[in-house]
Amino acid sequence: MKRTFIGILSVLLLVVFAVSAFAAFPEKSLQGVIMWGAGGGTDNFARAITPIAEKNLGQNIVLQNKPGASGAVATTVLVNSPADGYTLLYGAENPANYRVLGLSELSFHDLQPILIGVEGAVVICVNPETPYQTMEDLVEAAKADKKIKMGNSGVGGLPYVAGAMMKGIHGIDFNYIQFDGDGPGATALMGGHVAVMPLALSTSVEYIRSGRLRGLAVLTTKRVPQLPDVPAITEIYPEYAQFLPWGPFYGVFVKKGTPDDVVETLSSAFSKAMDDPRFEEYVKNSGGFKNGATGAEAVQFLEKFESTASWLIYNAGGAKKSPADFNIPEPKK
Amino acid sequence: MEQNLQYFLIPFLNWEMMLLIWVGVFAGIWVGAIPGLSVTMAASLLISFTFSWDINSALALICGVFVGGVYGGSITAILLNIPGAPAAIATGIEGYPLAQRGEAGKAIGLCTTVSVFASFVGIIVLAVAAPVIANFSLKFAPRDFFLLAVMGILLIGSIGGGDPVKGITAGAIGILISMVGMDPSTGEMRYTFGNIYLMAGISFVTAMIGLFGVSEALTQFRQAGLKSPKQNLDRIIPSWATFVKYLPLSIRSSLLGVFIGALPGTGGDVAALLAYDQAKRSVRNPSRPFGTGAYEGIVAPETANKGAIGGAFIPMLTLGIPGDAVTAIIIGALYIHGLKPGPMLMIETPHLFWMIVSCLSISSIALLVLGLISVKPFAKIIEIPKEIIMPVVIILSVIGTYAIQNSVVDIFYMIGFGIIGYFMRLYGYATGPMVLGLILGPMLDANYRRTMQGAEDQFLPFLQGFVTSPISLFLTLAIVFLVFSQTAVYRRWRGIQ
Repeated sequence: MKRTFIGILSVLLLVVFAVSAFAAFPEKSLQGVIMWGAGGGTDNFARAITPIAEKNLGQNIVLQNKPGASGAVATTVLVNSPADGYTLLYGAENPANYRVLGLSELSFHDLQPILIGVEGAVVICVNPETPYQTMEDLVEAAKADKKIKMGNSGVGGLPYVAGAMMKGIHGIDFNYIQFDGDGPGATALMGGHVAVMPLALSTSVEYIRSGRLRGLAVLTTKRVPQLPDVPAITEIYPEYAQFLPWGPFYGVFVKKGTPDDVVETLSSAFSKAMDDPRFEEYVKNSGGFKNGATGAEAVQFLEKFESTASWLIYNAGGAKKSPADFNIPEPKK
Repeated sequence: MEQNLQYFLIPFLNWEMMLLIWVGVFAGIWVGAIPGLSVTMAASLLISFTFSWDINSALALICGVFVGGVYGGSITAILLNIPGAPAAIATGIEGYPLAQRGEAGKAIGLCTTVSVFASFVGIIVLAVAAPVIANFSLKFAPRDFFLLAVMGILLIGSIGGGDPVKGITAGAIGILISMVGMDPSTGEMRYTFGNIYLMAGISFVTAMIGLFGVSEALTQFRQAGLKSPKQNLDRIIPSWATFVKYLPLSIRSSLLGVFIGALPGTGGDVAALLAYDQAKRSVRNPSRPFGTGAYEGIVAPETANKGAIGGAFIPMLTLGIPGDAVTAIIIGALYIHGLKPGPMLMIETPHLFWMIVSCLSISSIALLVLGLISVKPFAKIIEIPKEIIMPVVIILSVIGTYAIQNSVVDIFYMIGFGIIGYFMRLYGYATGPMVLGLILGPMLDANYRRTMQGAEDQFLPFLQGFVTSPISLFLTLAIVFLVFSQTAVYRRWRGIQ
């Protein structure tokens, strides 16, 4: 009798706990970890979407920047926290390259995407005082003269990967000069301290519009609405299509193994936030495009990006380890 | 023009913005005064906080915090020898001895007055010459930033505390520590031993809080029980004659500050240190010898770091390039509020430019009033017994350190630096050069390598650059002069003992 009673009681308790656990997410405030510093692209994305997502969730998200080691510090923090959905990571494309660059053992495979929010494009920019009027000019000049200075943000960064594409397709090499990121690189490009730099559309769009920089081509298959006069790279060199779509992106992640219904709740709160007019305004002005992928679609997006970027870095000689060591499939031509 | 005046008057005619600026300055003074709580951090918190506000109100608050915060950092430097921010390191060198003589009130009063003056110099230059200066600052090549860093390293002579060997040792260790982490250009790991937290590097603010805050507190415990110097608070506001006496130095240092602030990537910290060094070399008859409480040694860094505020806005408003860490965050705020920072900002939204100029002006007026009102209560802080105030300093140091990037590991670094700093002081090593090495190390390293990469790793073209570009040539000659002016030959020639 006593045993049955305890049995019933424990089942009841279990049900109560289970129900409260399911029904109440989120029942307390969430932590949001931003993998890059204040004022950067990832930070702006996080601070633009979070206040709207908070309303949809009915809980606060406490944001903190934990920059360092290309975001590997913040990724480690997330992976070391419980898989309960209370810790969110606001990140960019970087974890795709951690393993081949030897930065960390972690990758997107340790994360569960909540939402791929905003995508960007990369524009090949030159200083307007250089003689390169078109992409062909640049490629021909680089073939003839190996001394063109190209700004870069370090091995594995977007400009590096874009340079790797150009090397792969045209067999051209540049004299790479490293800057602390897109912004400082763009500054040096405007000052004429480097001649060319592949820059994120968000960084370069205002400089191109004002004539401070000249955009030669956008690394996309279609022209972007922000720069209707700058050709898409495939209009000039169709070979680039094998690497595209490729570009920076910002997303929200939780630790892998977070319960499906929690992921669902978060995904729907963030997806809904993307349709808010204030967020749309931010996306438009920041030179990005809404992506909005969640669930399996987002996982597929990340895998495609990982394969393109890590093989490009490897083939350009920048990788410490081969992507094959991690079973990253080679992109289909 | 009439239009611009109208834009300029927006904050004056809006009581809400007016109030926010004053609140911002007041809050900024406190945030700045607490070691570790920085203006950068406050600004990034305010962006989330003001998301749903009107952009004008958000900017008013951030401008107020910016101006107040830079000022606040100097208060603790003078009173407790603990700079609240790197921009106040030089101020402490002269300010603290003054406080020990019972002249804290006079020092803070002077600091406030010249600060407000310099802040207006920065604002005027911003309003009048922003596009010209922004275009000139673009011309600074990596080589020139390298030369500026070298110039900064020469400061070890000024703040090294007498013994050159000890000063250079501390500076070199500082540079070595700044190399820890991921190599910025190749991604290679340096001195990390495979540890992810070392990969992220050691933030110089963390080191500064330990080396100045905790180590100072530990050192002062040795004097616990001693009576603190009685403060003379009769004449806080400097006389007109005093102000005029320091006017040439104020103008020179604030213009230096505006320019260093306008260079992308260098801000008030480098400006203040260079200005202090410049004053130490050029002032013929200081009120007291430098290092023992020379008023010139407060005027120079304080005017430079306030001038740098206006300077930092120059590339931000004209080109969308941040002049320092705070303006980088303001750029983010503009994006989030649906504006497009960039070269077109001034053309498409001219009201924004004049409104910021106006918000900064009101902030400076607020600084004058709030600063002078709070001199007396601030000066009382020194009279609190050491055994009460110093534990508070240690607690604030821990909180401040954690708040930089929410990292517990940083607290350990900070305490470690505190203990190292304590022993350094005990054995006559100044901690200033170590922090200087930490601040300038990355600038030196990255820009040297950029220059070398630009010269395709050839030594001759690398050297050629120093004489073929006018800016580099000027900076190189300046460095040669700085070194030469310390030699016996030069001193004999100029008749200096």
